Amino acid sequence: MNSTLAHRPRRLPAFIPWLLISPSIILLVALIAFPLLFALKNSFYFWNLQMSPTPMGFIGWGNYEMALSGGFFFGALLNTLLITVVGTAIEFTLGLAIALLLVHKVPGMNMTRALLIMPTTIAPIVVGFLFRYMYDPGGGLIPWLLTSLGIPLPPQGILGSSTTALWAVLFADIWQWTPFFAIVLYAGLLSIPPDIIEAARIDKASPWAMLMRIKIPLIKKTAMIVIMLRFMQLFNTFDLVLVLTKGGPGASTRTLGYSLYQYGLVDFNIGLASAMTWLMVIVVNAIIALLVFFAFKEFD
Amino acid sequence: MMTTPKISRRTVLKSGAALAGTSALGLKPRRASAQDKTLRVLLAGDPFYYAIEGLADQFQQATGIKLQIEAISLEALQARLTSSFISNQPDADVISVDQMWLGQYLESKWILPLNEFIKADKDTDIADYVPQALYSMNTWRGQVGTLPVATYGQTVLYYKDYVEQAGVKIPTDGSWSWADYLAIVEKLNGKDFSGAKMAGTVVSGQQPAPVVHMFTQLAASMGTHWFKQFPTGKWDFEPTIDSPETLEALKTFQALYKNSPPEAVGYNWFDAGMRFAKGDIGIFYWWTPYAYLCKKDGYMTGKDSVIADKIGIARLPTAPGKKQVVSIGGHSLGIAGNTQNRDAAWQFIKWATSAKTQKEMALFNKFGYQFSDFARPSLYKDPDLIKIYPHLPGQLADLEEGNGKIVRPPCPVYTTLEGIYGLNLNKVLSGELTPEQCLKETSVFFQTILKGNFLIPYQQASYDDTLDATKALMASLA
Repeated sequence: MNSTLAHRPRRLPAFIPWLLISPSIILLVALIAFPLLFALKNSFYFWNLQMSPTPMGFIGWGNYEMALSGGFFFGALLNTLLITVVGTAIEFTLGLAIALLLVHKVPGMNMTRALLIMPTTIAPIVVGFLFRYMYDPGGGLIPWLLTSLGIPLPPQGILGSSTTALWAVLFADIWQWTPFFAIVLYAGLLSIPPDIIEAARIDKASPWAMLMRIKIPLIKKTAMIVIMLRFMQLFNTFDLVLVLTKGGPGASTRTLGYSLYQYGLVDFNIGLASAMTWLMVIVVNAIIALLVFFAFKEFD
Repeated sequence: MMTTPKISRRTVLKSGAALAGTSALGLKPRRASAQDKTLRVLLAGDPFYYAIEGLADQFQQATGIKLQIEAISLEALQARLTSSFISNQPDADVISVDQMWLGQYLESKWILPLNEFIKADKDTDIADYVPQALYSMNTWRGQVGTLPVATYGQTVLYYKDYVEQAGVKIPTDGSWSWADYLAIVEKLNGKDFSGAKMAGTVVSGQQPAPVVHMFTQLAASMGTHWFKQFPTGKWDFEPTIDSPETLEALKTFQALYKNSPPEAVGYNWFDAGMRFAKGDIGIFYWWTPYAYLCKKDGYMTGKDSVIADKIGIARLPTAPGKKQVVSIGGHSLGIAGNTQNRDAAWQFIKWATSAKTQKEMALFNKFGYQFSDFARPSLYKDPDLIKIYPHLPGQLADLEEGNGKIVRPPCPVYTTLEGIYGLNLNKVLSGELTPEQCLKETSVFFQTILKGNFLIPYQQASYDDTLDATKALMASLA
């Protein structure tokens, strides 16, 4: 008997791969598609839990019109974009700077690396409370530091003024999440083959040129992934706003995430909150799609 | 010699299935039964909770029912309860129900009406309630949905030593106007006292609820209404907040903020109270629990504040020619509609709201005496209590001038309206809107929301919800 024939692997029936992949598909549908489709359906219904525990009728685009004409959506979108874009940019820049320092083998770096991850492990609500105390105009650390440096503060306090409140929220976020960038980018920098760096040194490349032409291009994929992750997280900023400012003063720190909480869990307008959710899904996916398209074009 | 047991694939699969089945059976949630003598109580974390928790053993000893008490913030409570009822997942047997949610909860059958419980149980002593309190907090369309466990009015508190030194006379009996009040605040503002720069007053400016709670007291006192006709007569939710009276009230409120620490724009209820307790504020008006809370330097710290024995209390000012309307708020207990322990839940509500327990709550001294929020007139005349809480007679007089349904009307979309109102009031304080713009914009938003929720025009049945109707209801249940 031909031994090659005897050891030929059995051919699986065509349905087996589908069967094997089906748990993942079911899970994906249950956890992602179903809630989104449920929200989509609700967004076309008038459903306010203060009025009735069940939907009260189909109202077409009514919820979308209310969300867009109420004046809150665009103000909240602007605040959200500001926090997201500026926050991601600052956290990336600072995180990269810290990562570049971390790759140098100097004494105390191991301890620094361990300490660095700590802010990221604290719940945002707790960070919010910490900063609420630190921003307290009657003896908080930050006003004291700024005043000592001769920087004038608004009389209402940092969180009480519409010109500074949003930046205060952003600062708390930067404090918490810059280490996350630093750790991930540090891992990226460690993965660069040392011979490439060595070759650049022999060619007398300046540190700036090494950074811009060698290091950043080589960690670009890692950087893009972490930027996208933080972009999406920042776009949904809610907990810090809730604890620090409750969206105020006025609407100056109201983000889309906070508005969603207000409409859904305070006003209990499920229809309106669902419409807002979909508007957010569309906006954030459009931005991420653009980011992916431009960032990963060359890799594809 | 040991032999390795042979395990077939089939055996592994069988064992796995058996294990999964057993786990699934083990993890199946146990349903609460009537015999289960543990009562779950979900409360808002206000001062009354600490007193109830401190006395819980008494209830357990008297009834044999174990208590599992949990307290959370009001916002979290509302979100958790709504989620529990919508998904029909029982969360607690007895729940704190805010007066603003009462109609929604009763109409959705999320709580049980208490009329029959009260009628069948004379121990409730329904006649010993301030009718204005029950009217404001506990009745909806002729039904008692909850009973009050902590009842608040609003009152004026002032720093006696500072006011005396400034040569200001405060009429404590309420014979003063809001214009007088503002003049006093202005006179007290900006002076030095005991090494501190004094502010005339402090407001609670945080949006949405705190600023609405404070402003609406002033506005109602000046004769304003939110709607054309509610809760009496034929309901008409056409907004009336853009009125000359509300504008005058808002200008007064803005002037009060100008004599307040600027950071008060972000102060919640407690921030405002504790700022007064710090001793750099002359006078302010707020919910009655601050008469005892401000004696301490923090929430349930037990440590006296610098003004502990220097707090003066006065009745609220009025507006010339207007009948005084005092805000009534607080916390009430209801029986969750999906509970299996109705009778035990009723036993607990009856116990917690009884005159005996309420008095013991007032005498409970763990963090200092931290409860004087009664709805029962008999307790306001109790010499033991008056000795500890000398402000009680004035508080009762305030409650008797109270009407929570005018100050903050419990209409079906109240929290949405409060959200808008609070936001725009806060914008006035932060200078983003003028009072005129605020009221105009808020009125337009109110209209949009009320129309969007099919409340304008109002086509459902109205209910002539008067204080007299509540008095008649109380008489019928007594």
